[in-house]
Amino acid sequence: MKSFFYYLCKRLAAVLPLLLVLPFMTFCLMHLMPGNYFDSLRLNPQISPETIKKYEALYHLDKPLLAQYFHWLENIVHLDFGYSFAYKQPVLKVLASRLWNTFLLSGVAFAAAWFLAVILGLWAGMRRGSWIDRILHFIAYTGLSMPAFLLSILFLALAAHWGSLPLGGMRSVGYEEMSWPLKCLDVGRHMVIPVTVIALHSWGYLFRVMRAQVSEIVESDFVLLFRAYQVSPHNIAFKHVARNALNPMISIFGLELPSLFSGVALVEIITGWPGLGQIMLQAVRTQDVFLVLGNMVMISVLLVAGNLIAYILLVAADPRIRMEKP
Amino acid sequence: MKARPSAFCAALVFVIVIMIGALLAGWIAPYSPQEEVRRDSYHPPTKIHFVDSRGHFSFRPFVYATHAEYDDNLRRVYSEDQSHKYYLRFLIPRLVTVEEPGRIYLLGTDSRGRDLFTRILFGARLSLSMAVLGALLAGFAGLVMGSLSGYFGGNVDAVLMRVAEFFIMIPGFYLLLALRGVLPPSLDTKQVYALIVVILALIGWGSVARVIRGLVYSIREKDFVRAAKVLGRGDAEILVRHIFPHTFSYLAIVISVSIPGFILGESALSVLGLGIQDPDVSWGNLLTESLAVAHLRMHPWIVAPAILIIVTSLCFNRLGDAFNYRSQS
Amino acid sequence: MDDHRPRHLTFRVFCCLSIVCLIVPFANPAKAQVSNTLVIALGGAPKSFNEIIAQETTTSDVTGLMFEGLTRFNPLTGAVEPRLAESWEVSSGGLDWIFHLRRDVLWFDGKPFTSRDVVFTFEKLIFNPAVIAPARDIFTLDGKPIQVEALDVFTVRFRLPVSFAPFLLALNQSIFPEHALKSAVDSGNFQSVWGVDSSPEAIIGTGPFKLKRYAPGERVELIRNEKYWKKDASGKSLPYIGRIIALIVPSADGRLLKFLEGETDLYVLSGADYPLLKPKQKKSHFELLEAGAASGSYFLAFNQNPPNPVHREWFKNRVFRQASAQALDREAMIDIIFNRNGVPQCSPLSPSVPFFYSAKVPCYEFNPEKARQMLKAEGFADRDGDGYLEDKKGNPVQFTLLTNAENPERLQMAGMALEDLSRIGLKVNFLAVEFNTLVTKLSATHDWDAVLLGLTGETDPHFGANVWRTDGSLHFWNAGKGAVKTAGEDEIDGIFRQAASLMKAEDRKKLYDEWQMIAARELPMIYTVLPRTVYAVRSRLQNVKPSPIAGPLHNIEEIRIKE
Repeated sequence: MKSFFYYLCKRLAAVLPLLLVLPFMTFCLMHLMPGNYFDSLRLNPQISPETIKKYEALYHLDKPLLAQYFHWLENIVHLDFGYSFAYKQPVLKVLASRLWNTFLLSGVAFAAAWFLAVILGLWAGMRRGSWIDRILHFIAYTGLSMPAFLLSILFLALAAHWGSLPLGGMRSVGYEEMSWPLKCLDVGRHMVIPVTVIALHSWGYLFRVMRAQVSEIVESDFVLLFRAYQVSPHNIAFKHVARNALNPMISIFGLELPSLFSGVALVEIITGWPGLGQIMLQAVRTQDVFLVLGNMVMISVLLVAGNLIAYILLVAADPRIRMEKP
Repeated sequence: MKARPSAFCAALVFVIVIMIGALLAGWIAPYSPQEEVRRDSYHPPTKIHFVDSRGHFSFRPFVYATHAEYDDNLRRVYSEDQSHKYYLRFLIPRLVTVEEPGRIYLLGTDSRGRDLFTRILFGARLSLSMAVLGALLAGFAGLVMGSLSGYFGGNVDAVLMRVAEFFIMIPGFYLLLALRGVLPPSLDTKQVYALIVVILALIGWGSVARVIRGLVYSIREKDFVRAAKVLGRGDAEILVRHIFPHTFSYLAIVISVSIPGFILGESALSVLGLGIQDPDVSWGNLLTESLAVAHLRMHPWIVAPAILIIVTSLCFNRLGDAFNYRSQS
Repeated sequence: MDDHRPRHLTFRVFCCLSIVCLIVPFANPAKAQVSNTLVIALGGAPKSFNEIIAQETTTSDVTGLMFEGLTRFNPLTGAVEPRLAESWEVSSGGLDWIFHLRRDVLWFDGKPFTSRDVVFTFEKLIFNPAVIAPARDIFTLDGKPIQVEALDVFTVRFRLPVSFAPFLLALNQSIFPEHALKSAVDSGNFQSVWGVDSSPEAIIGTGPFKLKRYAPGERVELIRNEKYWKKDASGKSLPYIGRIIALIVPSADGRLLKFLEGETDLYVLSGADYPLLKPKQKKSHFELLEAGAASGSYFLAFNQNPPNPVHREWFKNRVFRQASAQALDREAMIDIIFNRNGVPQCSPLSPSVPFFYSAKVPCYEFNPEKARQMLKAEGFADRDGDGYLEDKKGNPVQFTLLTNAENPERLQMAGMALEDLSRIGLKVNFLAVEFNTLVTKLSATHDWDAVLLGLTGETDPHFGANVWRTDGSLHFWNAGKGAVKTAGEDEIDGIFRQAASLMKAEDRKKLYDEWQMIAARELPMIYTVLPRTVYAVRSRLQNVKPSPIAGPLHNIEEIRIKE
């Protein structure tokens, strides 16, 4: 156990610099973009340059860059992530108000993609060449090849035609008046399109990995042995094949974790899902620096956590890894 | 084994066809990509006839001239003027041409009356080459970094891998957006092109490097490498002559599989208006027009670039898979 | 293949998947009956509910329904009407104004509206040095602030340093409650009060609707103000509508789909939507209402003080600009971008601006031949046969056209303008940049050649003064170091200075008419086309009288929903 803890610390030390570098890089990039958030106000004939200067002074935008960065770092220690220019609220508040929505969406998509990938990958891997396998494989390919924004629009157009699914948003107009189980169903229905779009891509990739793993293992000697001994197919599938096949999946799991919060921006915008992605894209384009930085810190933390979790899970699942060099 | 030679062949053929199409676009396409005929805005694909209005059959295909009118709903409706036939001419001066005022719009036109078929072919030049170059660059960078890391180990390994991990973890989308925003706006197309290639490669090289490192690490311990070392061959020579060749099968896979990702990356940028600009054509900026539901319903042919992107991505993925199987067996 | 198949597994997987896939999408919780509710879609989430510090339309779209000013602008008649003020008198050549306030107005929490609130709004909010209020710039005339005092509980007097013709218009400035905000102001917290996380009861106004709930990024819910002062002709208390739900739908397609689906009651059309929606009117129970040319302006402008002296020669040449105007095919722009639903624009004011728009302003007809001749007369010719012109000194005419990347209509317009200009021999490079970058170039660094841009419209020409006066902060086409006054700028300066203080509308109109003529001659901005605003309105809504300046809901309290 000592050695495990030791390696864990080593891993942590290796990954921790990310926490500092990523936000700093983001900060530099944000400021390399010419101008600042308040430029958008300049084009309004009714706002004078003096007013704009006042805004800039209020947020220290007139000070040299490094000073601004250190100021921000200082505040981070007190858990003060600064102010969002657009929302005129502390960054943490803005993030918190949308976090749950994005998490819900990504979480369900993540879980769906993984669950389906493992089950269907197992299923298909054990039936190489059957028509089910071919169909699934084709869907996986197509899912990987389609741009998410296009898929969302396509699904929305189809749904509009068939009229059975709500077109965007998170809740229906009459949501407040619904009973509790109906409320869940309502959100669920709104989630169908965005979750399908997001999950399709990840599922395609994961399914192929799982399937490849499973089909390899299924041909291996020990499985042959079990079958010769008439162990039930059920046992073979779950106890032996799946366990081994999951190995690379686990490391992928930890690394995919942070994408729960990034990468869904366009889908959220097109389907009108009130999450972080929407405001982040806007924030990057309008240079709402502290909001973007706050988001970056959150993503970095998740990355570090994901990395560690992946490592722990991997070690727990496969004792051989423990001895390898990290 | 999962041998589907027909699917693989189909994918290969398609990729070759599209590349030839891109190369020879000047001859294959009937018009130039910037040629606007505004009165033909949103013209549907031209109907090619073999039988005329009086029922006479003709071996030579022909088209009619069209003109547009607005109906009661302000919808642009095209009708054919069946008084005069315009025969299609083949091979000279281009693959297919037709005499003015007949127009041959194989896939219809966009809002400004520019032939979509032509623009897709010319767009393929930019999009495909960007994706291929980006993938090659990412592959090459990954190869070099990964090999150095795996071969020398120790501190070199630690540093390079941290850097690689760093680049893997950056959310690619924001990096794309931020980098594009940072760059001096007065870049011409060629510079934007180069920049997008570089950005795409930056996003992609990390994962390649990591795998190559693992590969090199295991190859390093093999006998023939040790023998080479004992014989006093230099590191560079060992790397290039003995180690690199073993990575090629993996590289082939990863390059062909990352190409679709890069095509999509470029189209995401262009959809936001930050990629290749008008009047230059790329598949990405062809997509921007097709992204409105109203347009999709009334002029469905503008979805052609999207379909092409999807099919091309499919084919490259298929090729990657095929390389995968070849390397395994 | 050998039989690896565990039969149980197959069956279980199949069952689970089919249950999920069949039930969830199609089970439709009964479309809850929402009676007497107006459902609209906003293009963005409000960033704040504090109208004093937040300038975006996403905020004012919501607060416009909750707050009121002393006066109100009727966009259909163009007149200023009483609102919180019943009547007013003006004396001393427009320097002294006395407003008599309504006595029956109550704030949402029941407290009465008095002159103290008016004074508070101006002194403690707008003119408070600790508060960053863009409204201050409007009420600062000749560098001096206006003065307010309460004469008695329901009378307020304003003292202006100089007479200000649009003063009544400017007084649609929302008034805020002293009793609710005093503590925030005194403790210096005003910049962060009434943000989007506030409790809805805290946001206190006098308007027809009050905030019930805000779900971040999703929707804003407003309910009827029971205590609203306005009553209809038969004495019934307004507003008629009981509740407003404003869904936040950032994508334009999303708004269209929601309207088609029946979830929203209003939709603002853009170009291609018209042919799609018109045939559906009967079946989906809505009407298309045409409101006239949109307010605002779209234009192509040349930088008359660019860093490059060669460019400066061309852009400062009036004939060059006029030839460019002559080269633009406006009819094609209307056809293609707005699907035939648009008008060419020749004046800085949209035809929808009541009273001040001058129809006498000459338009530049599409005539590329004439444009080429005009350029030829100025010495521009194609001497090397490459299809593009060189100026009389031999420099090839090449420059960059900028526009902002987020707006697809603008991108199209810029692309078409570029093509038109290249047809008369000008080589134009196109560049789409982020909005902030564009603004920096226009107002700070001044390193740009040509730009295709749009500005929002004003109800009174004076509010665009910052664009037209040479000392204005938005005089972007001739600004920066070394800017030399061009022809006509002196006169325009004089016009804007004078017209602001003239009290008689007819006198002002004469001046502004002249301004529009000068603008058409000198072409600092070459106007292109304007869309015609069309609204799709659900048939169950009555009394909707949309205006391109003020939108479809400016008379929200009169709108009824017929169930």
